[in-house]
Amino acid sequence: MRFKPKIVLLLLLCLMVPVSASYAALEIDRGPIYGLLKKGLPLKNLEFAGYLKNETALRIAHGFDEFMKEANIAQLQAEYKFNDNIQFFTTLKWFYDAVFALENKYDRDPKWESKSNKKIKYPEKLQWLRECYLDILTDRLDLRLGKQQVVWGTADGVRILDIINPLDYREWTLKDYIDTRIPLWMINAEGKLLMNGQLQLLLIPDYEPNYFAPAGAPFTLRTVRLGAEAAEKVTTTTIDQKPARDFEHTKIGLRWRNIIEGHAFEYTLNYLHTYDFASSAYTARTAAGAFITRRAEQIDVFGGTFSKTITEGILIPGLAKGWTLRGEFAYIKGGAMNYGQSGAKVPVLGIDGSISGTVDVDQYNYVLGFDKTFFTNWQFSSQFIQMWAKQREKPPTFNKSTMTLLNGVTRGPLDKVETILTTMIATDFMHERLKPQILVIYGDDNDWRISPKVSYEISDQWLVTAGLHFFEGKEIYLNGGQFDKNDQVFLELKYTF
Amino acid sequence: MKKIILLLLGAALTYSCASAADLQYFQVYKPKEGMTADEIMQIKYHNKYSLFAKDYESIGDVVFIEKDGSRRNRRFLRQRIILGRVSDDVSYKDLVMFTQPTSVKGLATLTWNYMNPNRDQDVWLWLPSLKKIRKVSAGQADDSFLGGDFTVEEITTRRFKDETYKLIGEEDFKGYTSIFDGKVFHKGEPCYVIECTPKRKPCYYSKRITYVSRNFGGNILDEIYDPNGKLYRTLFRGWIIMNINGKDYPAQNRVEGNDLRTGHKTAILFDEIKFDQGLTEDIFSEKTLMRQRW
Repeated sequence: MRFKPKIVLLLLLCLMVPVSASYAALEIDRGPIYGLLKKGLPLKNLEFAGYLKNETALRIAHGFDEFMKEANIAQLQAEYKFNDNIQFFTTLKWFYDAVFALENKYDRDPKWESKSNKKIKYPEKLQWLRECYLDILTDRLDLRLGKQQVVWGTADGVRILDIINPLDYREWTLKDYIDTRIPLWMINAEGKLLMNGQLQLLLIPDYEPNYFAPAGAPFTLRTVRLGAEAAEKVTTTTIDQKPARDFEHTKIGLRWRNIIEGHAFEYTLNYLHTYDFASSAYTARTAAGAFITRRAEQIDVFGGTFSKTITEGILIPGLAKGWTLRGEFAYIKGGAMNYGQSGAKVPVLGIDGSISGTVDVDQYNYVLGFDKTFFTNWQFSSQFIQMWAKQREKPPTFNKSTMTLLNGVTRGPLDKVETILTTMIATDFMHERLKPQILVIYGDDNDWRISPKVSYEISDQWLVTAGLHFFEGKEIYLNGGQFDKNDQVFLELKYTF
Repeated sequence: MKKIILLLLGAALTYSCASAADLQYFQVYKPKEGMTADEIMQIKYHNKYSLFAKDYESIGDVVFIEKDGSRRNRRFLRQRIILGRVSDDVSYKDLVMFTQPTSVKGLATLTWNYMNPNRDQDVWLWLPSLKKIRKVSAGQADDSFLGGDFTVEEITTRRFKDETYKLIGEEDFKGYTSIFDGKVFHKGEPCYVIECTPKRKPCYYSKRITYVSRNFGGNILDEIYDPNGKLYRTLFRGWIIMNINGKDYPAQNRVEGNDLRTGHKTAILFDEIKFDQGLTEDIFSEKTLMRQRW
């Protein structure tokens, strides 16, 4: 019997009904799973937490009768304190997305993608070890050794300096980054040099590329789809050039973070020597067929951030009081981008949608953010983002009048400066039980994403979230256009312990 | 231009004088016979923010009680260091780290509070869902604190200069019956009864009647009236006296808010209260937030 989405939704709603919220005074009941874990491993210094979650998404365009996601997720986190200075932490996560079994239209093992990244061969499940590290904490130096996520930057939902870990794009950027960053094995040392000034050093021998949904999946990037279509027409050999996981290819990060006393002005200075997680494609055609070399370019990133809350007023008392201003800048040296005839469908070199060649570029990206709470508890957060890619050379095949740099994700044309605006408004009702939120992302090529959602805390352990994702724009554009047909409604039910 | 500079200097001097008149940090004050309402309320604020101590720590249990009796919980660890430092204007720094339930576990805030009464707090928030520190604006005064039946200013940001005060009587407190466990607190406590009127207009309350202990200067009960003059909410604070190194420190061990319109109630119970343990300022930095794992 084939499951129907509406039946699953009904079952989910039924699950929510018998939830009990009775607790003894000051005894925060953490449920039977936690009880079992504590009973099974009765170690005094061992602490657990975790959740079970169902995520269901339906495509709006087909009368809510087509799954885009039917994922069940289990996450377990454990912390063991050897003493106050040495502590171990791990996050284990399992998930299975049944959408590939429920909907015949999705291809679970496309040849093109599985050749280049075997980890994506089964996109419905991936990576059970999310974090695993040892903390060595002292007054002057904190060491975190192991598999982890490290986040730089002040921007929300946009990766300007937050590029230490690669990203899992299998659901585009619809999920929180904490669930989509791909953790890496690394040494993370943070030394305290001033009362509020810390120097961080990262040594990262590990490498993973960004994960893209394979062709045929609900959120296949346009560049992946075009590549797969082209590969069907001609014999294609793909060569991946990834940095080896060794000392020689160790990535290095440095960050100085400080808060200027008296003004509470916070800034960071960042440097990262790394490899681009989105490989550049170099294409060549021979009598034997087409060759695609996908190379992870070595890049150097120089950047900085700031954040400041106006606590008294700018220039005169009270002016702009309550606003938090934040910003982030990155200069990326050493990257490469494809160029070609913008939006061309005609195969160039006979192998691909529109790529004419690859050129080295310098990139300058920045974001400015403005946050404030209005009307008691309405949080407003807006960001202005600009990204500028500049060619370092003019290759002979580059025709300035007909060609542009191409967006790596959509192969659409890149403007000289790409501008994106984001706005998020959030509030709460019913003593913070009911939390509505809306996120709007606008790209200057008139492409949009609008994502309203509302979550309701049924009890300490049960949370339900429902929402929509609307995408709008031409398919060659990044922020919404490429998924114009992917408007979806989603429902999530989460049980924490 | 000169006039503007003189005006600014004048304003700065006025503020300096006002500060000088404030109570001294690290001193315990108690109300005395014949004090004015303003003097009593200065002591009350001194006690509210534990400015008599060098540092403070407690475990807080927040219990939201719905009209139907069902409950939700939050548990947090709170640490505070009192600095009273003129050089950078820092009055005290607060760390709040949520430990339960799992849905909020790991959420942590670092707050710097300033001596200048016109200056907002600086707040850094560690969001587990973002795995990074986010600078955020201080909560609005009338926003609900933690979603409970009290406002942000009632718990964390209200200052002495925000209201005008009138002493309207003295009486023995009738006692407060807890909404949480039914116990009766502070029965017979001799109190000053003070009417507090907010200076800012419009405001979500027209006045509050507060009962301040004559013995230790802590406010026990606030009766809060809406803009139409109708009593709509009560806020109770339970106090204990802790003898620390020979000094009697007044410490809040519970806060209970009762919304008379909706029937919703919130209790915060403080346990494992500690003063003057020798917490260092190093703890009150982003480094501590970064150590959060959940």
